[in-house]
Amino acid sequence: MSATLSNKARAEPNLTPILDMVFQLITFFMLVINFKANLMDMQMQLPVIGSARPMAKDDKRSFFMVNLNNKGQFTVFGRPLDDSKIAGFIQKQGEFYRLTERRRNPNFDPDKDEISTTVIVRADRATPFSKIYRVIRECQDNGFRNFAFRAQSAQAK
Amino acid sequence: MAKRKSPEEVELNLAAMLDMAFQILCFFILTFKPPPAEGQIQLRMPPAQPLQTVKTNERAGSDASKNNPVQGLNTLPIILTATDEGMIRQIYVNQQEVVVDPKLAMLDAQLKKLLGDPATPYDQVVIQVGSNLKYEELMRVLGICTHQTIGGDPKNHLTKLSLVSEDAP
Repeated sequence: MSATLSNKARAEPNLTPILDMVFQLITFFMLVINFKANLMDMQMQLPVIGSARPMAKDDKRSFFMVNLNNKGQFTVFGRPLDDSKIAGFIQKQGEFYRLTERRRNPNFDPDKDEISTTVIVRADRATPFSKIYRVIRECQDNGFRNFAFRAQSAQAK
Repeated sequence: MAKRKSPEEVELNLAAMLDMAFQILCFFILTFKPPPAEGQIQLRMPPAQPLQTVKTNERAGSDASKNNPVQGLNTLPIILTATDEGMIRQIYVNQQEVVVDPKLAMLDAQLKKLLGDPATPYDQVVIQVGSNLKYEELMRVLGICTHQTIGGDPKNHLTKLSLVSEDAP
């Protein structure tokens, strides 16, 4: 016996499969989301160097990212920081990483011991050295000793 | 014959949940930024120290407090001068000029000769860089320096490197 249609035809699609698929996509994007990418200034063009090696995956050390655009401006979250505020900003970062170090290692002496944090320098290929050197000196004065100079590896290009 | 629903059967309205799920999905799609494939050159850089400080008319060995009189002799100095456009103009390795070629092959050869010798006195490099030099040019030189091995030991790569500016006091 066939079903008879009522005057008001009602179609109720089964939404469960589409909901399943949407949840799977959400899970995928949640897993691959990279909040650290916000620290990078994506506008700048890094130099291409064949000998640049990707960061070791087992390196658990913290890092402090420094971005310098092609005009030599120090950028934080993509916005240029005033020259007069750079020293204060790096000093605050130094204090923060010293405290972090002390929390990990109670024997850490903030006045003598070095900070294990790596300063990652991301500068545009056209940034003059004097601008980079000013930032390096400021970091060294605040106890940073480990530096990593970022470049685009030749394979990625 | 029409199917009659039993009173226990509950039908959830999934449309509202699907709306919300789509909104969250849109947020993740719009904010998705794949991380760029970047490499790095890792260096340990303590603040640059003067290679040797000697007072005027001081004789060698006259100051007994200097317990490391040969400090600085194990450091290989490299000087990079820059053009107005920020390119490398001249390279001096240990005060000897090296020809600047597009791939910096001459610099590579000179560093191999000086650092690769098993009897090399050098274990660190100080690079004095022209203030105008572009980051790209500096990275080319750093790439060549960090590629060098000391004393011919393939596991002992050069990592002790300091940068000083031309204008540094």
